[in-house]
Amino acid sequence: MESFVHVCLAGISAGMFIWLVASGLTLIFGVLRVLNFAHGSFYMLGAYLCYTCLRFLGIDFWLGVIVGPLAVCVVGYVMERFLLRRVYDLELPYQLLLTFSMVLIFDELVKIIWGAGSIGSPSVPGLSGSLMIAGRNFPVYNLFIMIVGPLVAVGLWAFLERSWWGKIIRAAASDREMAAAIGVKVPSLYTAVFVIGAWLSAVGGALAVPYVGLLTTGMGEAIIINAFVVVVIGGLGSLKGAFLGALFIGLLSSFGTRYIPTLDMSLTFILMGVVLLWRPQGFFAGVDR
Amino acid sequence: MDKPGITRRDFVKMGLLTAAASALGSGVMKPVGLWAAAPKIKGPIKVGYQAVLSGTLAGYGEFHKMGAIMAMEEINAAGGIAGNKLEVEIRDSTLAAPASIQNVRYFVDSWEADLLAGVDSSGQALAVAPVVGQLDRVLMVTHAATERLTEEEVFKKGIKQVFRICTPTYQDGNAAAFVAKDLPATTWATINPKYEYGFTTWKMFQETLGKLKPGVKFVADSWAPFGTTDFRPHINTIMDAKPEGLYSVVWAGELITMIKQAKQAGLFDTIKHVLLPVGAAMDVLEGLGPDMPDNLWISGRYFFLYPDTAKNKEWVAAFKKRWNHYPAYVSETAYSTMYAFKKAIETAGSKETAPVIQALEGMELDSPAGHRVFRKEDHQAMYEVPWGLTATDPKYPFKIMGKQIVIPAKECFNRPPFEGPGTTPPFKS
Amino acid sequence: MNRYRTYIAAVLVLCVLVGIGLFSSRFVLYLTMRVMILSIFAMGYNILFGRTGLLSFGHAAFYAVGAYGTALCSMHLHTHPLLVILAGAAAAALFAVIIGFFCVRHTEIYFAMLTLAFGMLVFSLMWNWRTVTGGDDGLSGIVRGSISLGFFAIPIMKDSQYYFFVLFCFAVSVLLIHRIYQSPFGLILAGIRENHIRTEFAGLGVKRYRLAAFVVSGTFAGLAGSLGLLLESNVTPFAAHWSHSAEPVLVSLMGGLETFSGPIVGSVLFVVLRELIERFTHNWMLWFGLILLAIIMGFRGGVVGATSVLLKRFSERP
Repeated sequence: MESFVHVCLAGISAGMFIWLVASGLTLIFGVLRVLNFAHGSFYMLGAYLCYTCLRFLGIDFWLGVIVGPLAVCVVGYVMERFLLRRVYDLELPYQLLLTFSMVLIFDELVKIIWGAGSIGSPSVPGLSGSLMIAGRNFPVYNLFIMIVGPLVAVGLWAFLERSWWGKIIRAAASDREMAAAIGVKVPSLYTAVFVIGAWLSAVGGALAVPYVGLLTTGMGEAIIINAFVVVVIGGLGSLKGAFLGALFIGLLSSFGTRYIPTLDMSLTFILMGVVLLWRPQGFFAGVDR
Repeated sequence: MDKPGITRRDFVKMGLLTAAASALGSGVMKPVGLWAAAPKIKGPIKVGYQAVLSGTLAGYGEFHKMGAIMAMEEINAAGGIAGNKLEVEIRDSTLAAPASIQNVRYFVDSWEADLLAGVDSSGQALAVAPVVGQLDRVLMVTHAATERLTEEEVFKKGIKQVFRICTPTYQDGNAAAFVAKDLPATTWATINPKYEYGFTTWKMFQETLGKLKPGVKFVADSWAPFGTTDFRPHINTIMDAKPEGLYSVVWAGELITMIKQAKQAGLFDTIKHVLLPVGAAMDVLEGLGPDMPDNLWISGRYFFLYPDTAKNKEWVAAFKKRWNHYPAYVSETAYSTMYAFKKAIETAGSKETAPVIQALEGMELDSPAGHRVFRKEDHQAMYEVPWGLTATDPKYPFKIMGKQIVIPAKECFNRPPFEGPGTTPPFKS
Repeated sequence: MNRYRTYIAAVLVLCVLVGIGLFSSRFVLYLTMRVMILSIFAMGYNILFGRTGLLSFGHAAFYAVGAYGTALCSMHLHTHPLLVILAGAAAAALFAVIIGFFCVRHTEIYFAMLTLAFGMLVFSLMWNWRTVTGGDDGLSGIVRGSISLGFFAIPIMKDSQYYFFVLFCFAVSVLLIHRIYQSPFGLILAGIRENHIRTEFAGLGVKRYRLAAFVVSGTFAGLAGSLGLLLESNVTPFAAHWSHSAEPVLVSLMGGLETFSGPIVGSVLFVVLRELIERFTHNWMLWFGLILLAIIMGFRGGVVGATSVLLKRFSERP
């Protein structure tokens, strides 16, 4: 029983990380129709920049979580404005290839700047303790992550559904030409959405610093495939679907590892295959409207 | 309209091909046989070294590099190998088998390497061994640990070109069992990597411990795929089984993550006996710093505070001075490889493969890690690496080995012919 | 006129390849074999990608099935090269039929993700089925037998001998794929890419044609896998990993999607560039990424496509 509770908790907190990355990916895909391979790189950059604030600039962790992702926003801006924008007219595979080449470049730059070795991160003061839940310790930090995830989801929802900006973004997402016709500056809007997406992923990376406890140059690739899976089973472009999908993937891998270990490497892909064959519009397509 | 377009396109294509061929074909039309005729060693001695320089484990490659380059600088400053300059070229092995094969072929056929070294993963070592045999160059493996390399490729199939200077899986599986037999724990569990390295070491540990201490029970196993960042489900599996001892060869960054997460879950409060065969790696110790709990059993392929000899101390000091780092185990194996080559070539009086192999077989080498002997049958270097309990030392910003135990390599390394009774520990004599 | 030029070009390339086979050093032979094998992989892939307009992210699975099929056949049954290659390609074709059956129901990104899922399932199958596949260590030390043809046998043990065997397979593949593109079948595939609804209305079962294209391209991937295995004498599960699936995509895009020679030029670029970059830097990923970026931004539509457009414009000038 104590195991069951803890497997649940581990699954939910893992899911929330995937959500933070997948939310930006979903947003970008939903509006720009670009599958951003370099999204995992934003996650990695967020983590490394937050760590740098923490370690070398002497800023505390929370400031690092704010400053790091803001710096990534600049990177995202440059990438969209000067590179991606020029290939929107090319076919989807070329955009994918462009973001893929960015992955190579970002990985190597991180290696050159921060060194090739993996870096163990310091723990966060105030959140490094554990709580006794169901007879076993559970880190406070993970509980914190389990609150942040839904908060981000609510914030995004409020932004898209309630704010003026959100309305424009939704308008551009559903009909690019129409939005342009009524005077929306679509290119700037695209840049803005891309930057917001990059920011979300970087926040995920920054928050992952104490959670994973380790920074490596390959950390972006490790999460991007899971995020892709989430975006797909959530029904491409649906934020609610992505949220539920992330939660589901987190729980599935946690339970899979515990109870059906022989399948743990293939479970997420089996799920993705089944969803695509059974309900290609997304597992949670119904909940959106 | 297409007329000039197509011919010019062909022209470009041809140009590309010929450019490629000429750029790569430095080996074209060279009289290969001429070197062989001269009995004396001529020209620089070239060592092609490959290690992982990209991806998650790129830090290991950097440590390989430091050791290899330092040895090269030292040897050349002291007059080279038999009066010849030592040249080392390092290439990225990317941990993938095809890349390691391409590197080896590049080194031998294009760069004209005399000797080869490096290789990180077991899969790569097994893939490269037959190629090295075919190209006929000595390969000194400095990191890959699979016992299949020396038992099957060298001993059974007779690929005599392959040697290994680092400790193999025997150190991780068998030696760990020798440590475990003296601990009060009678029930053991594991969180191990979900690949061959994890499977074989756990099997070795079980078999040897079962023989050393009949009645011991193995109650749970949880297998973490390569690249695991969340060990909590695995930790839950282990804590549910309530073992007294935990064994894990999870390594590098993943070990850092696992220890941090196990600590948060309170695993070390309930499981008192923990064996980490690759826990004494510098990246792990430095990465964890004060977060590494005390009183865990750790080991590696070399630990910079052992042996307590002048040679080792001087080397560690020199290394620290050169790179501002404590040497990782791959630094030591890379470093000692160059000296092993030097000794072998000087003994043989030649850099040709056959005499070098002959010199290396049974050769003794004084190295920072201590006295090494290359076993004649399987080309495995026999030397000791201690097991020790983690402890705090104000002199270092990370945990070191406190109490140490040394299991002699003779006692815990499998013996040729590797089949039948009397080839696995414990040995009668 | 046009056709003659194509023939002349083909003959010239063939001469160069034969020349490399006769006069080059072992390393150049090896790299050229890598290029040819990657070309077969990429050209087969391009039947699906460039011709039919389906982006697969799991084609490495068929490469790997071909390689494992060949390895297992030569370890347990017989080492005759033609037999083991046939076994590899047949196994890949079989897998392609099964996986394709499910995948061709979708197009675009759904198709891509579905193939990714199936590809990774094949990967984890190879990783976990240790007794047969050797787990992550893979299968190694596979020996190339002689091609025995009744009363005489052609040895391909040496790289210089095997080279001509690979060259033969490469030439046959190029011819076959060229024929496929010229055939009604190939034209229908192009029709599907341009407008699959109209093709459907023309009374053609689009799904069936997609499946056929999928199987044909999977079989070529399997052939490439077989040849690759015999070259390296080794295969590991990473042959089926998605990062390997990205290779033919990359190569096709670099060379030019809707051109016949695009994948070949892309393969040359891919293999040679990486080799050259690695000679002057350990940060090869950075340089490779930058060059890729330059190719996408500079040669829009791939090197072959962009070059021919450029040359055309140049020649049209009075």
